[in-house]
Amino acid sequence: MLYGRDRDSRKQQKFPSLENFCFAARGNGVASATSTGGDVNGEIDRARFASIVVPHLSEAFALACWLTGSRADAEDVVQDASLRAFRAIASFNGTNARAWVLTIVRNTAYSWLEKNRAPQFVSVQDLGESAEALHNGSWAATLADTPETVLIAKADAGRVEAAVAALPPEFREVLLLRDIQGLEYREIAEVTAVPVGTVMSRLARARRRVIDAIRTHNA
Amino acid sequence: MTNVPGPDSGEARALLVHAYADGELDPANALAVGRQIAADPLLTAELVHTNALRRILRERLARPAPPPGLQSRIKRTVGLADARSRPSWRALAASLLLAVALASGSTWFVLRQGTHDRTTEAAVDAHVRGLMAARPTDIESGERHTVKPWFNGRIPQAPRVVNLTPEGFPLLGARIDVIGAAPIPTLVYGRRRHIISLSAVPDTARGEGAAAPRSLSGYNVVTWHDNGIGYRAVSDLAAPELEKFANLFRSAPAGQ
Repeated sequence: MLYGRDRDSRKQQKFPSLENFCFAARGNGVASATSTGGDVNGEIDRARFASIVVPHLSEAFALACWLTGSRADAEDVVQDASLRAFRAIASFNGTNARAWVLTIVRNTAYSWLEKNRAPQFVSVQDLGESAEALHNGSWAATLADTPETVLIAKADAGRVEAAVAALPPEFREVLLLRDIQGLEYREIAEVTAVPVGTVMSRLARARRRVIDAIRTHNA
Repeated sequence: MTNVPGPDSGEARALLVHAYADGELDPANALAVGRQIAADPLLTAELVHTNALRRILRERLARPAPPPGLQSRIKRTVGLADARSRPSWRALAASLLLAVALASGSTWFVLRQGTHDRTTEAAVDAHVRGLMAARPTDIESGERHTVKPWFNGRIPQAPRVVNLTPEGFPLLGARIDVIGAAPIPTLVYGRRRHIISLSAVPDTARGEGAAAPRSLSGYNVVTWHDNGIGYRAVSDLAAPELEKFANLFRSAPAGQ
């Protein structure tokens, strides 16, 4: 890896609670980028990078932070993704720079997680995505009367974050891209490389799971 | 809508509730689905809960902000110029000057500097917005006889437009930014594939001095005053090149 920080100390972590890792300011260990930039080629690439990638770095960081669950990891992921984007910059000729950048960040985050947290990384395919039916619309029947929505509205930030963090990655990313980053369905389909229909069903399931988690906690 | 389960299944209807909440349906479908939801208490419950969840996700989950140095570090990694954040001798001298000005009760100077900085920040924001838009210009033209008249009728006074193509800074076009609720003309020049935004802000400050290049939000900025106009050149171009651009623009003949 490019960056000279000790990652072993983080390998053993369970998926950390987002409120502890993503939002807490970090005191040290930040300033350690070491790449020499020796592999760079071309002024044009740099200029394209500046106009295509740089404006989306904050959003890239937010997504990486959510996907990895830690600010330290998110920094590594964003730096890694930026290098990947830079190397591939000549191949970008689309119009949606934001979706392109977020796609790279998302893929980088997953390779990073696989490499560093393989044991905890369970994919939806493993669970059998179709096994978890939507109960043919009867899920809503499990909801009590309207006062429940008041409970949802009163859920504290830590509870909500924990519920989102507990989602399987494939569900979580769709929820984040839609409800935090505000992407449209077809952009999410592009970023996550699945059909729009899959995006829709994952989003519905993700939301139901979070609602259930909040209700269970409040009950 | 593609790959949606059979249109009559409860699952498909539930998915459409979410698409409805997300504003992903075209008006005709939205109307039809809205009626379905109103007629079905289960779908209504799903919609109400989904909307409650979307609201708390938006309100409670703050977006994690990147650490301050990350952008500069990434730009350095790929070899993009970025001014140092370490204080230079010049900056130290400037702050000393400011301290002296404060001590002597010269608050006028200090207040002026404050206004000046907010305007420059706004110019940087406008530059970033230009980069993120489909095009950085409202009018795309390398011809100053096209660009200058375009401003007439849109803003009170068209800015000075200079042809710097021979020097390697071709005019790409222009746009109107809004800074402090006032429309401000901004010329857009190119340098290889880099973009330079040059905003011309009417300014009552006297003097014709230029400030040294500095970095704001990761972009290099050169400011100068000329004939009642405060100029802000913003770019990701290396500081010396941006300074060269500023000098060329300032020294271009008046009739140009």
